Amino acid sequence: MTNKLAAPADANAGAAVVQMNAINKWYGTYHALRDIELVVMPGERIVICGPSGSGKSTLVRTVNLLEPFQQGHLQVCGVEVGADAITRAARLAVNRRVGMVFQQFNLFPHMTALQNLTVGPVWGNGVSRTEAHALAMHYLERVGLSAHAHKHPAQLSGGQQQRVAIARTLCTRPQVVLFDEPTASLDPEMVNEVLQTMEALAAEGMTMLIVTHEMGFARRVADRVIFMDQGQIIETAPPDDFFERPQSARLRTFLGQLLPH
Amino acid sequence: MSSFVRSTLIEARPAPVAVVPTLTRWRRTWFPSLAMGVLSLLLLVLLVVAGWHFFGWALVRAHWSGVSSSACPGDDGACWAFIAARWKPWLVGDYPSDQLWRAWTCFAIFALFWGWAVRRAQGASQQRVLLGFVLMPVFFFLLLLGSGVLPFVPPTRWGGLLLTLVATLATFATALPLGLLLALGRRSRLPIVRWLCGAFVEGMRAVPLLVLLFIAATLLPMFLPAGLNVDLFTRAVVAFALFNAAMAAEVFRGGLQTIGLGQREAATTVGLSDLAALALVVLPQAVTAVVPALVNIMISVVKETTLLSVIGVNDLLGAIESGAKSPEWNGESNILTSGHVFLALAYFIICWGLSRYSRRLEARR
Repeated sequence: MTNKLAAPADANAGAAVVQMNAINKWYGTYHALRDIELVVMPGERIVICGPSGSGKSTLVRTVNLLEPFQQGHLQVCGVEVGADAITRAARLAVNRRVGMVFQQFNLFPHMTALQNLTVGPVWGNGVSRTEAHALAMHYLERVGLSAHAHKHPAQLSGGQQQRVAIARTLCTRPQVVLFDEPTASLDPEMVNEVLQTMEALAAEGMTMLIVTHEMGFARRVADRVIFMDQGQIIETAPPDDFFERPQSARLRTFLGQLLPH
Repeated sequence: MSSFVRSTLIEARPAPVAVVPTLTRWRRTWFPSLAMGVLSLLLLVLLVVAGWHFFGWALVRAHWSGVSSSACPGDDGACWAFIAARWKPWLVGDYPSDQLWRAWTCFAIFALFWGWAVRRAQGASQQRVLLGFVLMPVFFFLLLLGSGVLPFVPPTRWGGLLLTLVATLATFATALPLGLLLALGRRSRLPIVRWLCGAFVEGMRAVPLLVLLFIAATLLPMFLPAGLNVDLFTRAVVAFALFNAAMAAEVFRGGLQTIGLGQREAATTVGLSDLAALALVVLPQAVTAVVPALVNIMISVVKETTLLSVIGVNDLLGAIESGAKSPEWNGESNILTSGHVFLALAYFIICWGLSRYSRRLEARR
């Protein structure tokens, strides 16, 4: 248990970690998310895929309120947020329970890898410096980068940066981690090291919501795969059904366009 | 077509050595064609003639010693005797002779700090350099003004290079924090804050500094309460500070714009509040990005301080001007010219040094 990559599960286990009810979002007049209904239970790994512009990223960014929504109700790790009550306080409360890994890593370039990991716990959650340092070294060790603790992001490869970013989000002890196309901006030979890190995380029971185009990864890891198009959830199914027996024509077309991996 | 497989890898070889003779290379650089050759020659001749004239005036025919204008008869040579004899007015102005150690302490501290800043111009220390620039003038002000144990010396008796130094540093120290606040204010969510900061910056940028100085010198005292008597030097520094705060605000705004939304989002997702994200993630990067531009503002502040002499503050330019009008140095036009050349050289050394420093900071990033 002490060696777990994931933080210990929340006390109110059994309740949904994320619950989205009739979420609607517009960018100006563009209807970006349409009547989204989604329940994520503790320990679930959910992969979201779909063509570009289908609203996958918007969906996960709505979960931690990086994107506000105009209609509907959201519950994240016990924090209830209505469309009319998206405040800074609510966003902060949600983000102290939710982790996120970005496509562009978004590491802080002026800090070392270690400082990237400790800044959140120390200044956001009031963890003592020594404790945060130990926690950070633990997670850097787990993503295989403890030798690079004192390097700045610019001195690391893309794959290493993304692993630091994963360690950074784990260091805040999240109850669910959102991944927004974590391998999309990596060189092909670096994709695997990141996927392996994510698989290890999944194997330890972390609740994960992953937007990705890596279908092989989705098959191995996901409990459920969600297909989105035009801001709507078109189909949700366990990976075997999803890939072997797609129900909707849209998903069949989408899968047909993917290169066989 | 048959396929090809490389079985042995090519070893790296050194680049070939240039075989063009030095003389030919020199000729190609300086005289690549007839027209360009003529241009090169013409400019060289111009340079030599101008240099020769200046050399003759400034060194060969110059007068080096003396205590009055009789030491510099005629106007075919520079009058360095004037500069040498009046070292005190142009260095420290009218500062009391028995208290001069206070002025020397300021110069020494500044020299030490500057040496330290130049030697370790690394990214990490830049914030400490900025902190030094903010704290030093406060200390200088207190030391030079004095009270209690130290006899009080009013700013009207400060002058010359000392006054230029203090005015520059004090301007910098107040304009930087104020400029940062203005830049942040322009990004505020509150419309009134945004609007006021924007109006202040745009207003300051649209008014000539000299006009501001005249307002500070003549108009401001009428608006201040009767008992409150702020001296001319302080009022002028306030005008400088407000003007340059607007300049710094634009620089900081540019720096803040270079920090992408992703950085703030990442800060949010690791649990930082908006204020913590600003202080720990956005500002350190934004300020580091604009340090060279801030040094450029400092260069312009150094040069702007010569405007102080126009409103009657005894800065470096004022000290030279009033020196040339003093009874013992009156009469020869050459004396004032020499003073101005000396001034140009002094400002050149200061500003060129600063600009080299800013280049080094830029190159290091």
